[in-house]
Amino acid sequence: MKDSPKRSARMLPSRRTVLAGGVAATAISGFPFVSRGYAAQTLKFWQFYAPGGGVASQDKWYEDVIKAWNDSHDVKVELVYVPNNAYMDGTKLPTAFASGSGPDLFIISPGDFLRYYNGGVLLDLTPFIEKSAQDDFFPNVIASRKVNGKIYALPYEVEPMAMYYSVDAFNEAGLTDKDIPSTWEDLLSVAKKLTTPKRYGVLFETNPGYYQNFTWYPFLWEGGGDFQTAEGKSAFNSPAAVQALKFWQDAVNMGVAPRKPLGGGGWDVVPNLASGYCAIMNTGIWAIANLREGAPKFKYGVFKLPTPPGGKYLTIGGGWAFVANARGSNPKAAGEFCAWALGSPKDGSTTRIVDWCTKAKSDMPPTKSALEAGKAAFESGFLKTFTDEIYPGARGEPRMPPPVYKAISDAIQACQLNGQDPAQAAKTASDQIDAFLSTYKGAPIL
Amino acid sequence: MQDRLTEADGGARVRTLRGPRLSNDARERLAGYLFVAPDAIGLLIFVGGPMVLSLSLGFFSVSGFGEYAFVGLDNYRRMIADPLFWRSLQVTVLYVVALVPLLYVTGLGLALMVQANSRFNTVARSLLFMPQTVSLVVVALVWQVLLVDKIGVFNQIGAVFGLGSISWLGDPRFALFTVIVISVWFLMGYYMLIFLGGLQDIPAEYYEAARIDGAGPVQSFFEITLPLLQPTSFFVLLVSTVTAVCGSQTFDLIYIMTKGGPANSTSLAVFYIYQQAFLFNEYGYCAAMASVLVVVLMAITVLLFMLTRGGRFTYG
Repeated sequence: MKDSPKRSARMLPSRRTVLAGGVAATAISGFPFVSRGYAAQTLKFWQFYAPGGGVASQDKWYEDVIKAWNDSHDVKVELVYVPNNAYMDGTKLPTAFASGSGPDLFIISPGDFLRYYNGGVLLDLTPFIEKSAQDDFFPNVIASRKVNGKIYALPYEVEPMAMYYSVDAFNEAGLTDKDIPSTWEDLLSVAKKLTTPKRYGVLFETNPGYYQNFTWYPFLWEGGGDFQTAEGKSAFNSPAAVQALKFWQDAVNMGVAPRKPLGGGGWDVVPNLASGYCAIMNTGIWAIANLREGAPKFKYGVFKLPTPPGGKYLTIGGGWAFVANARGSNPKAAGEFCAWALGSPKDGSTTRIVDWCTKAKSDMPPTKSALEAGKAAFESGFLKTFTDEIYPGARGEPRMPPPVYKAISDAIQACQLNGQDPAQAAKTASDQIDAFLSTYKGAPIL
Repeated sequence: MQDRLTEADGGARVRTLRGPRLSNDARERLAGYLFVAPDAIGLLIFVGGPMVLSLSLGFFSVSGFGEYAFVGLDNYRRMIADPLFWRSLQVTVLYVVALVPLLYVTGLGLALMVQANSRFNTVARSLLFMPQTVSLVVVALVWQVLLVDKIGVFNQIGAVFGLGSISWLGDPRFALFTVIVISVWFLMGYYMLIFLGGLQDIPAEYYEAARIDGAGPVQSFFEITLPLLQPTSFFVLLVSTVTAVCGSQTFDLIYIMTKGGPANSTSLAVFYIYQQAFLFNEYGYCAAMASVLVVVLMAITVLLFMLTRGGRFTYG
């Protein structure tokens, strides 16, 4: 029996059927985010280094860590690069979490810890880390990543702040190593000598933001100040806060410090110090690696933060940490990854930390074992200055909720750039902090 | 007549043709609605819906991590007591009051300068419009380099004339002014084009008649050009006001160049709202502030409609 032409036509798939089939096939195989199974097996790791980040050595470190994990585990990790600006104060992470699609793994600094912890998205990593490995972290470094004795973030670097200076600028001004300032007063006096019509003597961050606060805290602490008392009240209305606010204000008012840094901001050493825009710069340990890559011929020196009258040397140790999303597609595997990468010496975490701190970047390690294992590197060149002189005075970067940060930020900005009376600014900020603390119910502020 | 054609119409047609039952007016109205429908539906879904959601969100405390709690008018009470919100409104008013007239004057001035058809004017129009084709991020970065303290181009020029270094973006006395100038530079080409369109709609005979009657260029401008540009002026004032309050340049330039500083002197309302949402996770508070901003904008729009009678204009 022969098929009628009509029937033959029916046996061929119609255009509509082909399209529907294509759509279905694409939905099943082509879009990993549609497939829950795939999501559970592949963890997304958001950060601002790889793949394709700006610094090859840092990109490679991340790629190597992920490759080593993927080669030995069923659940894979995939790196997702988010540009630095979009990551730090952009919309990428907040919108992802607000829509319930936050990454499985990401990195945070202490400044952002409470925001995510209080939001309930940080996974307790303690069960994945052996006790000996937990104890391996320096207590002052891990403290800001702990709540009620449990670890919620694993740091892989500590980034103390220091002062960098241009040797050529010193020579031009007839200054030598003996003129390296040890007090705030000395610093302003030396900065004045280094200031020319085309160069500033010293540079402090002036852009408002978490980073500016971060760089200012050591000056508050050096005079014995703090932002909170042991009883949980504001301690900001203090002579130490007023003194620190006035110090930065004086630097600008004297014309020895700029109102705007170049490049990415006050952390960016090459366009500011190496370019000759300033002669002394307040920035962090990462500047060693940045100068190595961006201005290898630039001659510079490093010294610890000067102190106020009657003050005690202190600096701040910031740094980023791996965290796992408690509401991610596979929190257990994400937690295991964090522990494997940074909290498990038997799996190579010590070597990873040493490599990051000495090869990929220039940082201090957060663990005792890494400090020991990388001794040769940490005791040579400028890292030795940090190891011997600067790092010992490091206090962990504080973690505070955004309203506290904002109150302090406004005080710094008002004094540094708008000529406000430091005593008045400290009082205003203190009142704002007290008003907030009286209703705050989140994890302890440190 | 067109409803029904029968043999009585001359026998040329044998069957009865039934036209639509709608009247002419109704058909025109329907056509109008159908033409507007795609835009209206799009606006409803992508603007109206989110606006209603945002308005509702203003009555909640929203953590940004999935938790919502109804707080009534708490966000609005907080707004009233928030000095930084009022400060941002104050900065916004200054920005709008300076930017809108400047855009009007520069847009119209440039349009008058390049309205005659010539090769030079064609090139000039393209050059003046060119900033609009560049990403605002690039615009901000380039201006930032030009305005650097001490060694920037502007300060170098100032130094030639014996002026001291001015921190255009780091001094609260100058920062907002600098942002306004850059905004004008970026936007004026667009408004120039709008005015060019308006100028071309004015019949040349009017100017001829005025010339014959002895009117000079200034009189022609005030008696013919300006009155006949009333609809264009209405459009420019309305759009530039909205742009000044919440245009892309309002956020992008600030975000790249000043981050709201120095000392909150460039913290426009839109930027402050952004900070509250994406840096502080205060989504409910941010929605409440955004709602107030929308109400203010709507009030300005209504006021403009009332003052200009909707920009209506008749040649009679």
